[in-house]
Amino acid sequence: MSIPEGSLLAAHDLHKAYGPTNALDGAAFSIHPGEVVAVMGPSGSGKSTLLHCLAGIVTPDSGTIMYNGHELSAMNDADRSALRRTDFGFVFQFGQLVPELSCLENVALPLRLNGTGRKQAESTALTWMQRLEVENVAKQRPGEVSGGQGQRVAVARSLVTGPRVLFADEPTGALDSLNGERVMELLTDAARSAGAAVVLVTHEARVAAYSDREVVVRDGKSRDMERVV
Amino acid sequence: MSTSPPPSPAGPVSARPQVPQRPGAQARPGLVRVWARDLAMGVRFAVTGGRESWARTWLTAVGVGLGVALLLVTAAVPSALGNRHDRGAARADITYSGKVRPKGDDTLLVGVNDTTYRSENVRGRLLQPEGPKAPLPPGVAAFPRPGDMVVSPVLKKLLASDDGALLRERLPYRIAGTIADRGLIGPSELAYYAGTRTMHVIAGQNRVERIDSFGSTASDDEWDPVLLLLVLLVFVVLLMPVGVFIATAVRFGGERRDRRLAALRLVGADGRMTRRTAAGEALAGAALGLVLGAVFFAVLRQLAGRITIFDMSVFPFDLDPTPALALLVACAVPASAVAVTLFALRSVVIEPLGVVRTTRPTRRRLWWRLLLPLCGVALLYPMTGQGNDNGRFNEWMVIGGTVLLLIGVTALLPWAVEAVVVRMGGGTVSWQLAVRRLQLSSGTAARMINGIAVAVAGAIALQMLFSGVQGDYTRQTKNDLDRAQMTVNLQQDTSLAAADHALRTTGGVRHTTPIGNATLAPDRRNPEAEVSLSVGSCADLRKLAHLPSCHEGDVFVVSDAAYDTHTRHLVKPGRTLYADPSYENLKGREIPWRLPMDLRQGSSREDPTGVERGGILATPSALPREVASTLSNQVFLRVDPSYPDVRDEVRNTAAKLDPLTDVFVFAASEQSTRFSSIRTGLFVGATCVLLLIGASLLVSQLEQLRERRKLLSVLVAFGTRRRTLSLSVLWQTAVPVALGLLLAAVVGLTLGTVLLKMVDASVSVDWAAVGSMTGIGAAVVLAVTLLSMPPLLRMMRPDGLRTE
Repeated sequence: MSIPEGSLLAAHDLHKAYGPTNALDGAAFSIHPGEVVAVMGPSGSGKSTLLHCLAGIVTPDSGTIMYNGHELSAMNDADRSALRRTDFGFVFQFGQLVPELSCLENVALPLRLNGTGRKQAESTALTWMQRLEVENVAKQRPGEVSGGQGQRVAVARSLVTGPRVLFADEPTGALDSLNGERVMELLTDAARSAGAAVVLVTHEARVAAYSDREVVVRDGKSRDMERVV
Repeated sequence: MSTSPPPSPAGPVSARPQVPQRPGAQARPGLVRVWARDLAMGVRFAVTGGRESWARTWLTAVGVGLGVALLLVTAAVPSALGNRHDRGAARADITYSGKVRPKGDDTLLVGVNDTTYRSENVRGRLLQPEGPKAPLPPGVAAFPRPGDMVVSPVLKKLLASDDGALLRERLPYRIAGTIADRGLIGPSELAYYAGTRTMHVIAGQNRVERIDSFGSTASDDEWDPVLLLLVLLVFVVLLMPVGVFIATAVRFGGERRDRRLAALRLVGADGRMTRRTAAGEALAGAALGLVLGAVFFAVLRQLAGRITIFDMSVFPFDLDPTPALALLVACAVPASAVAVTLFALRSVVIEPLGVVRTTRPTRRRLWWRLLLPLCGVALLYPMTGQGNDNGRFNEWMVIGGTVLLLIGVTALLPWAVEAVVVRMGGGTVSWQLAVRRLQLSSGTAARMINGIAVAVAGAIALQMLFSGVQGDYTRQTKNDLDRAQMTVNLQQDTSLAAADHALRTTGGVRHTTPIGNATLAPDRRNPEAEVSLSVGSCADLRKLAHLPSCHEGDVFVVSDAAYDTHTRHLVKPGRTLYADPSYENLKGREIPWRLPMDLRQGSSREDPTGVERGGILATPSALPREVASTLSNQVFLRVDPSYPDVRDEVRNTAAKLDPLTDVFVFAASEQSTRFSSIRTGLFVGATCVLLLIGASLLVSQLEQLRERRKLLSVLVAFGTRRRTLSLSVLWQTAVPVALGLLLAAVVGLTLGTVLLKMVDASVSVDWAAVGSMTGIGAAVVLAVTLLSMPPLLRMMRPDGLRTE
């Protein structure tokens, strides 16, 4: 097994099948603290499955995932859930905010799930919203804000617990290019300043340009790409 | 390269090409055509929209189908009851005429030999044809020979089983055949006809009758208006939740449908057209629901013969919906599906780009919601006090008032839920998630529990009414259950001493009190007054009256018993009284008895039946033999209630003495049969309705969870505990349920109070009923929440995020 030296999160020889379809077929991956890695590939290539496996959302059929020296696939569901609450953050394509909570409550939610009191959670949440320039929609519900604002709220929610790894699955997929670029700027800046590693799943080269390194997934297999500057 | 249009087949192009007419330039189609077109489009969407559409259509259809099946069962109740009644009337064999018909070649002696086995009634008749033309009872192919019997299929099964061992002992006849369905009032009836040759008619007694035909044309006695009111209310209260349920069922999957309709807006459909298309979708579900309902009903009909609920059973062929009612169901259900959908969508703005803005809904207005129950009370109020003078209630006002009051629950509930949840905040994450969800869509939550709230409100009102009037239909018997629990009334030719011995030695019998009874009159014929005669040993007579001292040969007079005004005037020492006097149509033996000169005085006390006996009490040796032969004998029994089947042991002994011996079990109270039947009907109906509503709740709950599957997966992805989400679902249900049940209790108590005032009964709140009804409602919701937990846990798997 080859786990790169100093990596925070690494996977080796991952296999995952959904029925007759092999989503992952020997994929490998590694990321270092503070690093931004883009996972690229065409639709259906297995990049989202790779992200879900790395985040402990989906259990691979075989292979190894090490996080900070611990074997992820050996953890039970409760431990993996606790890890996602404390060490991981998530941004999805459509934000996936809870529609009935206000934006501020959405951002504060991960903190509250960790046991932080409401006032303190919302105060911290507001700081992150200011950082992502969406404090003006704090009291509004997700349905009442624009797509770009909603996605920035989702980024704030993913960073509010100070995660060590941020998983972003097509975070700009539903936005126009201008909004998409702004979200990516804010996301990568905020992650870098917080020292969080970012696993960025995208199929857009201009989004991948915000990363330090690119990994291409095709037919369930991964390959590290040399960055051409 | 240039392109040119292809040459016209008709020759070179000489005219401008035809421009299709713009839709606006066409004549506007008529309203009916527009409706038909849009509804048809909706129907098409319902069946051609792939798996999602079919799932939604089936969901609606199953919900509507269950409701329709219940409505069809209700529509079949009149015919079922009518058929039962007709079969009961067709086999009637007791004339109560008092006359003895002369024997002929077309006459039949019928002995009434009904009995009870454990708690089940067994209808029994002894038959003795007196000529070749004797009438056969309905459902019986040939008279059973002496010693044989024909039985109902259920009795046959019982007698063949171990459970029927004791009854087999009581019915020592050979089974020679079965009674056909037309001879039974229901499939679970225990009945038999046994052949005999030893019966004879005794004038003035109804145990054996001579008849020349079966059947009675006597009209039923009229229904008490309060009982009619109860029946009416039971129907309204049970059918209202079914209506609410159907209205809920046609909105299953509404959120997903709204998104599909948004796509329709994008291609140019206006708001009205979109709503009509949505109504068309609901119509398809409702129409399929009608078909499913008919299928469910057919299945239920077949199962009906095997089901007995609260001692009631019907044959499948009895469940024949009244055509007019069935037609009403067939028309009203699709029409209400369209109406409910249009009404529900009146405040929904479907925009071309979908439901992009889910802003807070506009605040609900209270005034018109409050108007409904107020109108209901206004309709019922004028009938206050009518029960007092047995006046009839206006059926339409009763139905209208009750329906308005109960609809008021469904109208007020969304407002109440909204008004309360808008003020809620804070709390744990699960609480916050639940409260915010309720704040955003309180209508969905209220809709889910509307059915339960209506059912509970109606049930509380009915229970109050039942409790308020049950005193009028329940008689306290005064039976002294410490002194005797049973009595056996012997046939004329059964020896009292032999019967007493047989009963005393029966297992479980602790004590017997044998007493002979007769009436004595001052005149031989057509006496205007009578006094009672009781005969027994000194010890046994002391159980009927207080006696100073008593020796064999003594005769006592008791003249201070309640309601006895004759003894004081008729019973004098040395006076002659007549046993078995003659009446206009009934010749008696007119046996004279000169009362002894040394009549002793006793004072009254209640006998074991709770009656104060007046008249003459005599020891056996004081009575002339002829007078003794007129006595009707009875034995009071004190039994050991812990002895297994002690009552049936006594009945078996009594049957051995004479099959026609009467056995009675004492009870503290007796209730009117009709009153009990209505109460039974309410329980049966309420059980069905609650099950139906529970099913509807479960479907709604699962649908809501399905809508939120992706979101649940996301919440789990970033580490939300399952317990938090489960609790949030529980709060989401518990808050509206608590509010709904509170509102139901208020409306139920209001309706109950108005109804009690209508029948002029004193108003008292039956808190036990309020507690039990709301408790049952809460239990249904809790059960539904628990049942929705496994799918919720399944949906909370983070792999629900997978989209490809």
